[in-house]
Amino acid sequence: MRGGIGGRTAVATVFRRELATVLRTPGYGVLAVGLLALLGGIVAVGGGADTGFVPAVVDLLLVTEVVVPLVAFVIGYRALLTDAETGELAVIRTYPVSVGGYVVGVVLARGLAFLAIVVVPYALLGVAVWATAAPDTTIFATHSGIDSPLLYLRFLGLLVPFGAAYLSLATAVSAVASSRRGAVAVGVLVLAVAVLGGDLAILRSLATGTAPSTIPGLLAFTPNGAFRGLVFQGVIGVAFTPEGGFVDVGRALGSLLVWTVGGVAVSSATLAYGDRLEALLEGVRARVDE
Amino acid sequence: MSDERVAELSDVTRTYGGVAVLEDVSVDVRPGVTAVIGPNGSGKSTLLGVLSGAVEPTDGQSRYVGPDTSRPIGYLPQRVPFREEFTARETLAFYVRLVAADAADPEDVADPEEALDRVGLADAADRRVGALSGGMRRLLGIAQATVGEPPLVVLDEPASGLDPGTRERAFRTATDASGSGTAVVVSSHDLELVDEHADRVVVLDRGRVVAAGPLERLCSEHGVDDVSGLYRAVVAGDATGEDDGNGGDGGDGEEPTAVHVTGVSER
Repeated sequence: MRGGIGGRTAVATVFRRELATVLRTPGYGVLAVGLLALLGGIVAVGGGADTGFVPAVVDLLLVTEVVVPLVAFVIGYRALLTDAETGELAVIRTYPVSVGGYVVGVVLARGLAFLAIVVVPYALLGVAVWATAAPDTTIFATHSGIDSPLLYLRFLGLLVPFGAAYLSLATAVSAVASSRRGAVAVGVLVLAVAVLGGDLAILRSLATGTAPSTIPGLLAFTPNGAFRGLVFQGVIGVAFTPEGGFVDVGRALGSLLVWTVGGVAVSSATLAYGDRLEALLEGVRARVDE
Repeated sequence: MSDERVAELSDVTRTYGGVAVLEDVSVDVRPGVTAVIGPNGSGKSTLLGVLSGAVEPTDGQSRYVGPDTSRPIGYLPQRVPFREEFTARETLAFYVRLVAADAADPEDVADPEEALDRVGLADAADRRVGALSGGMRRLLGIAQATVGEPPLVVLDEPASGLDPGTRERAFRTATDASGSGTAVVVSSHDLELVDEHADRVVVLDRGRVVAAGPLERLCSEHGVDDVSGLYRAVVAGDATGEDDGNGGDGGDGEEPTAVHVTGVSER
């Protein structure tokens, strides 16, 4: 393996192989169906699809903040671990594909799987809302106070960077972990910290005297805070609070991008330098033992 | 056959958890078949791993010094690692595409069918890897290791755990790759096969090289007729001499002592 991302053909080759593996994993289909049932149930409990797009988003937001990271981890926690565990990564390393190219190929394929497993059920739910909701939900919003499919499309669009951030984190976990059990343990820890830790930290900072006006800025730093802020800013708030101010939009989008790129960078660095670092530490240990 | 070096290991040491599995190993690899032999736990797999780049040495270095090519080293680990849900053809197609993507002329890279045919697996092309026998998997692994015709092919026990016929076929297929100036480094416990196919031998014992060089020269130096004799002379003899009273070799000279490191050594 070489440094950098390398040739597009090599990335496409890794992508195709990973996608074929995902397509041959029946569990992912079950996951998508289960997610659809869960989301449908939540919307039904919240008053049904006929209440409109924005009410559906309000009903789904909290569960989305938990389910999307969870599904992203299910899709990604073994993405790089599988080849490392079986020893096939050692074989792939002898081929002209860079570490970055290999990681990007795997992440892109898993990302496409994420779109199919997560975004498609949400989109189907949107179709159900469109088919059953009151007539004014078919109007495309041009000003506040109107429910609209466009707002739901925005919500769908925001699922993509939110899921990409968590998928990238999950991939990093799969690169760092040395076993399936370890990946599950680290994954649960990272999920708990990422999903809850950010909000708890903000609450704690408020309790210790941080000004409330800083919340929109602080919120953007965690994936969940950024996503929630963007949904309030671009979907829910459009209908009710046109002035916005829920989150710093640029910072929130930048934060999701940084989490995504950061996860890929950690994965690549671990694959590229992990063995070298381990050997270096072994060397130090051997010298200390002498 | 060219005698230019293709790869070299210089003072390579590798430890795991502070236990040395390889110690100060220096070996030159040249075209032809080089067999790495030694007792279980002597460091054969680690040496081959270092040579292929799969294992990072704790000290010293491994260098490929052969011709510049898109894939310099082919490698087959001891445990054939392919994804079980793919067919043999799909598995090789993935690797062929990786090489073709970087080759100056992709047409020159053998297609999966040719590679499968070369190892006698053409009829099993559409069988899933999970449904292949152990011998067929190893043949598929050998086909993979030679994709792109790398100048150095490293095969870790390509014939282990197979019946005598398949073992012979796997070993012959592996060593056939050395025809056109390719260096094939292969580890094995089957000394008869080594005797039949190897041009050079590296004998490891307790992580150290105890003999290395052309087979004929080593046999002549130690006054033995074949690899089995050489093995007894340099490994079993050593073990008897260094028996520390912890059970040792059992005293018959046929079962040499071995250092086993859990999770590292093969048994």
